[in-house]
Amino acid sequence: MFRRTDRRNHEHGTGPAAEALRLVKVTKTYGGEENAVTALDGVTLALPRGTFTAVMGPSGSGKSTLLQCAAGLDRPDSGIVVVDGAEMTGGTEAELTKFRRNRIGFVFQQYNLLDTLTVAQNTILPLKLARRRVDRARVAEILTAVGLGDRLGHRPDQLSGGQRQRVAIARALVTEPSVIFADEPTGALDTRSARDVLRLLQEAVRVHGRTVVMVTHDPVAASYADSVLFLADGRLAGEMHRPTVDAVAERLAHLGDDVMAGV
Amino acid sequence: MFALALRSIRRRPGRFGATLLSAFLGAAIIMTFNSMHDTAGAKGVDATSAESLSTAAGVVGGYGTLLVFFAVASTLTVNVRQRSAEIELLRCSGATPAQIKRMVVGESVAVALVGALLAIGPAMLGGRLLLDLFQDSGQVAESVDYTFGTVALLSGIDITVLAAAGAAFLAVRRATRKTGPRGRGRTFFARASLILGGLSVCSTFAFSSTAAALMAPAAYGAILLAVGFALLSPKLLKALLDRLPLTGPSGYLAVRTMRERAAQLSGVLMPLILFTGMATATLYMQAVENDAIDASGVPKSIDAKNLETLNLVVVGIIVVFSCIMLINSLYAATTYRRREFGQQRLAGATPGQVLGMIGIESLVLTVTGVFFGTAAGLAGIIPFTMVRTDSVLPDEGLGIWFGIVGVAAAAVLVTSLVTARRALRTPAVGAVSLAA
Repeated sequence: MFRRTDRRNHEHGTGPAAEALRLVKVTKTYGGEENAVTALDGVTLALPRGTFTAVMGPSGSGKSTLLQCAAGLDRPDSGIVVVDGAEMTGGTEAELTKFRRNRIGFVFQQYNLLDTLTVAQNTILPLKLARRRVDRARVAEILTAVGLGDRLGHRPDQLSGGQRQRVAIARALVTEPSVIFADEPTGALDTRSARDVLRLLQEAVRVHGRTVVMVTHDPVAASYADSVLFLADGRLAGEMHRPTVDAVAERLAHLGDDVMAGV
Repeated sequence: MFALALRSIRRRPGRFGATLLSAFLGAAIIMTFNSMHDTAGAKGVDATSAESLSTAAGVVGGYGTLLVFFAVASTLTVNVRQRSAEIELLRCSGATPAQIKRMVVGESVAVALVGALLAIGPAMLGGRLLLDLFQDSGQVAESVDYTFGTVALLSGIDITVLAAAGAAFLAVRRATRKTGPRGRGRTFFARASLILGGLSVCSTFAFSSTAAALMAPAAYGAILLAVGFALLSPKLLKALLDRLPLTGPSGYLAVRTMRERAAQLSGVLMPLILFTGMATATLYMQAVENDAIDASGVPKSIDAKNLETLNLVVVGIIVVFSCIMLINSLYAATTYRRREFGQQRLAGATPGQVLGMIGIESLVLTVTGVFFGTAAGLAGIIPFTMVRTDSVLPDEGLGIWFGIVGVAAAAVLVTSLVTARRALRTPAVGAVSLAA
């Protein structure tokens, strides 16, 4: 069989873009005409490279939809999504997948590791799927950095929740994506494992220079981010820099009031 | 626990579709052939007709029972394995292993019973057609009336329910026992069927070349060998996978996934191996038989005709039955993997790559199944041909075999790919969050 080596010749531009992610008037509506629910109502935002942003809001505020539209897992009804200077155009799932491969990494609440693959195999899976060269030493290095250097041959069902999530982070790091999207990454973890995972996400930004967007409902998790975006009823409802747990919790508690007042 | 079982059937009838279908088809086959016993036993049936009917019921009823047993068992094993999450939940909610066992066995028995009862009508119709077939070929007197009686009814219900209960019991015992020795039972059954099959095939040599029942031990032996091979197939599948030079993304996934799922794949390999083995054995043996009769220059006797009709009917039934079982279990197994496909897509696999993986898996499955099926078939054909004629292998070319392999490959590939395509229609994010 043939094997193509590095396909990442930056099809999307010459120099690195200053913004890792830009959304312009992104709208998404679910349901039919009768019972339409507007999950995203013209959201516009821009995230610089090398930042760690938390997206918060009450249930149904559209934060999961925001993540899915921004990450190319769902197609917005209207609006533009630009990742690392390249506009995400609609099209087939295969095209979207190829767009995501080199630009976007994921960390999910439910880990989404493949049970049939070992830790090492799960980590290199995105590279294999993209037919990219696998640098074993680099993979081992990343897995050691997340504290799993001695578990390369284990299967996900032999690991704790925290360990599984760390594999997921290693998998998201290995393709060197522009943006890592994390959807409630600590939602299923105990406090100690959650802290480890959040520190690793911070390191992804500070050490590896990635951009991390994390959806969460937990003020403690949000306090690890550089800034927090608040979302209510599908619209941006404020931003907070250098968040603290108490400030985030307070702001979240009164998020409904602001929206009511704004109507 | 039985109440819970009934409720879980009522709530999710679709889940039991595969089990119901296999119980229904199995019971229909058993009842159809065993109603020949009832017909033969009725008053005023002459001796020749009665003998023709009893032979048919005895020989095919025997095959059929064996086939149905393994088909129902393999479907149920797939079913129970897919419910491991639910079983785990019940364990955590305080259900004892005995309670879970009662629930799963109760469900299976209830579904099998429904399947068997539904099969009564079609079996009566099928039995009537079969009797017409015998009457048309002159093997049974026109005056014989069709009877559907206790033998058909009881054997059909008993065998189906017993097969379901036994298979469910074994499957759930595997599921509820977390640790402990695994696969000892499987190895025992595999060895037992290989030894019995081998003995049965060898006993062909004890018959005279013109004995009417010459084909029976060879055919039984082939079935048993096929079952034995199917039980051993996971190990051999793993060995094969280690040697496959597949490098592309789809190949990478296919090889690694199949190696882990090898044990589960024997449920799919069972009908595939049975199909190939039985179809090959019966069709070639019949061809040899026809040639031998032609060569002897004597016109075909009633017995010979009888046997030919029977064999063709048997092959017809086996082809349809195994094919449906194969499609059934592949469909169930592939639908169940929706979540896995979703995870692969989230990790960066295009739908085409997932389909490519399924295609490669199907090919490996087909090659393995055809290989063992052919081995089992040959084990039946060779002794028969040696006893019946002077040669070792039939004179017929590979045409029949290619036909059989074509049907097997088409059934596996089309079912897997069509089911996977449907599973891929769910968006990846939705697919991974679906409760399995």
